Amino acid sequence: MKVNVVTPSGELYNEDVDYVVVSSQMNGEFAILKDHIPIISSIDKGYVKMVRGEQELFTVIINGVVEHNNNIVNVSAQEAHVGMSKESAMDHLNTVREERLEENRKRNFDFAKAERELKKNIKKAKAGK
Amino acid sequence: MASMREIKSRINATKKTSQITKAMHMVSASKLKKAEKLMRDYQPLMYRLQEMIDNVLETSEDVSHPMLVKHEVEVTCYVIVSSDRGLAGPYNSSVFKAFKAHIKEHHNSNEEFIVAPIGHKAMSFAKRENYTLLNDKPINVRDDIQFIDFREITDLFMTAFLSGQVDKVVVYYNHFINTITQQVESFDILPVTQNDTDDETEEEPQSTLKDIYAYEPNPQEIINHLVPMYVENTLYGIILDAKASEHASRMTAMKSATDNAEELIQDLQLHYNRARQAAITIELTDIIGGANAVN
Repeated sequence: MKVNVVTPSGELYNEDVDYVVVSSQMNGEFAILKDHIPIISSIDKGYVKMVRGEQELFTVIINGVVEHNNNIVNVSAQEAHVGMSKESAMDHLNTVREERLEENRKRNFDFAKAERELKKNIKKAKAGK
Repeated sequence: MASMREIKSRINATKKTSQITKAMHMVSASKLKKAEKLMRDYQPLMYRLQEMIDNVLETSEDVSHPMLVKHEVEVTCYVIVSSDRGLAGPYNSSVFKAFKAHIKEHHNSNEEFIVAPIGHKAMSFAKRENYTLLNDKPINVRDDIQFIDFREITDLFMTAFLSGQVDKVVVYYNHFINTITQQVESFDILPVTQNDTDDETEEEPQSTLKDIYAYEPNPQEIINHLVPMYVENTLYGIILDAKASEHASRMTAMKSATDNAEELIQDLQLHYNRARQAAITIELTDIIGGANAVN
């Protein structure tokens, strides 16, 4: 069966796998094997484990929906990251999020500072008078 | 007539400005390409979400969500999407103008609406006009937009809507039509109107046979999860659209700035040559006059 993970910034993963395990804080854990009946489930914060042979891959997800139909698993997620283990992937996602927010805060601060300086300098240069 | 040196320095200054505007034009052109790609990448998710919501609502009865219910409109929340930086031609001012016209026509006092500005320009506009603000911190619209940047604002207006503080949420933004045309449009983001098909999805063939799905844990929970996600993604899509417009608008503005600068340089060059010729003529007459005096 096929797994297809999409996020707002595009497709993240599209491969053939043997089965997937869907786990979320809200619903607990369940596996979707081949020829499962069509199912839709939501993930608030959790992961999708994709298994092919010996290989395991984890997609950690914040806010997402899993849909299975005709042996195609469609995972639509607000934020997602693929990693070798769920801990490392989750850590990565969290650090990326935090860094981004911190950066935004800093930009706002810098912007306000630059704007204040500009105003001061305009006054000083007596421009527009 | 201005002196040669003055004209020369003006030519140099204009040349430097045109170099900057030319560089900005090229940067915007490449960023526009990226923004267009982001918009394309985002479509599949949106389409899928829409399909799933339709599916759940159609196949299961007794499923509803507060965000699907229309309220009697008393207070409207307006989300204004602008840019962080200027020099983008009429990009920001056209949104503000359209918004002001709308306010003038539909509202009598500033208490009937609140404003949620996105981008620094909208923030200072809203502050200048003394509107009631939903968020006190400016929301960044960076060129490398990410979903997470707008979580805060969507959370804010969704909770405001659910608590009954506002009854309708409308987004004002610049819709990207093509590189030279952008149009200010408004979009009612909340309450979510059912079967509200976008232009893109309308073209998709509607499957008459709906698949029967099993829902885990139940349809209501799924809808509770799906609808906020849908709203967040809709706003994200609108911002992507606006971002593409911003780049396109900046591109055209910078292109015309470069063209104008070049025209100005040509004009100044002409003046410079004339001044140079005049100086030479004066020198020559001086020499000839001097020689005549000696003879």
